[in-house]
Amino acid sequence: MTPLFEGMRILEFGGGAAGPIATRYFADHGATVIRVESRRRPDFLRILRLTPTTPGGVDGSAHFAVLNPNKLSIALDLSRPEGVALARRLAIAADAVAENFAPGAMARWGLDYESLVRERPDLVMISTCLNGQTGPDRAYPGFGGQGSALAGFNHLTGWPDREPVGPFGTITDSLSPRFAALLLAAALLHRRRTGAGQHIDLAQVEAGIVCLSESLLTYTANGEILTRMGNRSRHAVPHGVFRCADEDGRDRWAAIAVHDDEDWRRLAGALGRPAWTLEPVLATVDGRRRHEDEIEARLTEWTATRTAADVAAHLQAAGLDAAPVEDFGDLHDDPQLAHRRHFRTVEHDVLGTHPVETHAIRFSAMEPRIERPAPRLGADTDVVLRELLGIEAAELDRLRAAGVLE
Amino acid sequence: MTQSDGDLSGIRVLDLAAEPGFFAGKVLGDLGADVVKVEPPEGDRARRRGPFWGGVVDAERSLLWLALNTSKRGMTLALDRPRGRELFFALAERADVVLETEPPGSLAARGLGWETLHARNRHLILCSITPFGQTGPRAAWRGSDLTVVATSGNLYATGDPDRAPVRCSLPVSYYHGGLEAAVGVLFALLARDQSGEGQHVDVSLQAAMVMPSIGTAAMFRMTGQRGSRVGAFMHAGRTIQREIWPCRDGFVSFALRGGPARVPGLIAMVAYMDEHGMASARLKAIDWKSYNHNLLTQEDVDFLTREFGAFFATKTTAELYRAACERSLMLAPVNTPREITGSPQLAARGFFVDVENPGRGTLRYPGAFAVTHGARVAIRRPAPRLGEHTAEVLHAHGLAAADVERLRAEGVV
Repeated sequence: MTPLFEGMRILEFGGGAAGPIATRYFADHGATVIRVESRRRPDFLRILRLTPTTPGGVDGSAHFAVLNPNKLSIALDLSRPEGVALARRLAIAADAVAENFAPGAMARWGLDYESLVRERPDLVMISTCLNGQTGPDRAYPGFGGQGSALAGFNHLTGWPDREPVGPFGTITDSLSPRFAALLLAAALLHRRRTGAGQHIDLAQVEAGIVCLSESLLTYTANGEILTRMGNRSRHAVPHGVFRCADEDGRDRWAAIAVHDDEDWRRLAGALGRPAWTLEPVLATVDGRRRHEDEIEARLTEWTATRTAADVAAHLQAAGLDAAPVEDFGDLHDDPQLAHRRHFRTVEHDVLGTHPVETHAIRFSAMEPRIERPAPRLGADTDVVLRELLGIEAAELDRLRAAGVLE
Repeated sequence: MTQSDGDLSGIRVLDLAAEPGFFAGKVLGDLGADVVKVEPPEGDRARRRGPFWGGVVDAERSLLWLALNTSKRGMTLALDRPRGRELFFALAERADVVLETEPPGSLAARGLGWETLHARNRHLILCSITPFGQTGPRAAWRGSDLTVVATSGNLYATGDPDRAPVRCSLPVSYYHGGLEAAVGVLFALLARDQSGEGQHVDVSLQAAMVMPSIGTAAMFRMTGQRGSRVGAFMHAGRTIQREIWPCRDGFVSFALRGGPARVPGLIAMVAYMDEHGMASARLKAIDWKSYNHNLLTQEDVDFLTREFGAFFATKTTAELYRAACERSLMLAPVNTPREITGSPQLAARGFFVDVENPGRGTLRYPGAFAVTHGARVAIRRPAPRLGEHTAEVLHAHGLAAADVERLRAEGVV
């Protein structure tokens, strides 16, 4: 079957995580995603961990490589008018443009929506940044860590008696590309039906706050601020992460969630109905909440002598919600992720054979395909300019000699 | 700005989803789809869960329900009754999308599975959101936010080193998975334009929680890093660096790492501290041109941490954020809803909207998740009351008022 987006071209400006993850959804279903890059100011992820001894330099970033497979890269000097003119021609020829620079950057080059739409009336373009394209704090620069803090995720993560933490991985950088992919797909559907394009202004902080609507409403309705509560739940007791037997010198844990009184009876049965589980006070969620510390201590006594895998398998067999806590290494041995072929392998010039992730969607009649590793910086400049814009070899040589092509 | 139809205008969604799927239906509704929430006659479980608006325990005042079911109409239907199932098929024959969160095989066991639905409506898209996916060795496992985050690598790396791995206290996997489902629905709609056929879209919450670690899982094969908990800190280069810092009245997020893009903000921070007489000679003597966070020693990091930390302790979050915006310091407060609802930035963008909930009053909501010309993304209606649109939906399918009354009396709706 022909890939869904075969023949579609998306032009991508910017870098880091939030922008590039979004276009992957399209690339993995056949779209040609072209990254417009700069050698003088490389993508944030190409240089985040760069030291003078990094093999491959800007082409040796593992972080860039795992987030950008299936894409092409062209290197243009956008400080030169001819470089901007090429970017402009590519944008006008593309089916969609995605950018995540600080607000105003695209306008300084004349590559903003208002400039491009004059030549491409049905342009679909998405701009994403932390605070959005308008408002007094629009120019505020920040990374995903700051986005998570502003949107309210940090406050909700950690122990009530301690300072806030994570969640690991700057969550607005992972939520916003999913919003961006959704918005781009909706805009493409709308254009197919009506012929009309649009510009989408996605503020990562706002999108994150929409996710936390329950917390926001609890404040606007009741004046109450929900706060971090470790692994406990307002609705389920016990609900936590319990220490299991160490393996290979590593700390191992199991997550257990007892959602209702019926689950509690199942848990008691799975533990062999020891006397403490039969206390009448523990039969209801309110009673269990009053004794939550003791329940957690008792459960830990039970889990501590077992492996996390055994705890999870035993409790699942009893019909309970439980799972081993997996670290990033364990994921590569996870049978369920393997069944879904979550990780695929690519061959990279500098890094060798390495895994990349796919998205979490499986379709009955389409399959995500990873066909090439992340591009070296500027690896596809000539082929893109020749095939998309019809630029001849002699002109490419001239542009390269003039420094327009980096 | 007047609200226009939205990109998904005319797309009909039947939303059978429980809490893990609330967000998927909400974002499709905000994009303009006609989303009809189908609840059992006794109502969704979430209606019975607090916190409740004003502390009044009432099925129409659950804040979780009210928060994540906006832009949907609502009806009740007893899917386990023969007449209820028949009505569901009638609705599904005219729908574009069915959204559901039942355990794998559960719909099929009730005669409502993918094969049956597809046979009756070739255009229909069935989107299933489950903890681990429709097939595979753990497909039958029970799961919820805590356990899917546990199996994603993300939980293990979050928290303090001397305590258990810790999750976010709201279910982030349901937001991630809901968005993934909505993307899947959109892709299936685009594919249907070409093939004429709907598809079964299978979303795994576990798989959806791997990407939020931003490539760390895939990088394991190159770095050997299994992840470890360092509390309010992050691993960077050869060191552990603070990311969340106490200040006079709360916490701020501020990083020493970040490559060359980070350096101007650090220089500006030292200048800001110097204006308050709090930048030491050693701090001011740093050669920022050669600064590379990957090459710092822990001693360097500890020195910087003492200097910045001592300064932050003298300032409030509001003072620091104002300075960060004016001076591009790349620092942000650890906000609670109090600061978020008071934000001048969000006010200037008209982000918050007041939604009238009939009979209960007005509630202030976070509004559109994106801004477009003509407000194509918007909260279109409040969360439905139990069975609010049952008669309306059934009338549109040709049932007379008397038919609906009979169904009501029989307990089907």
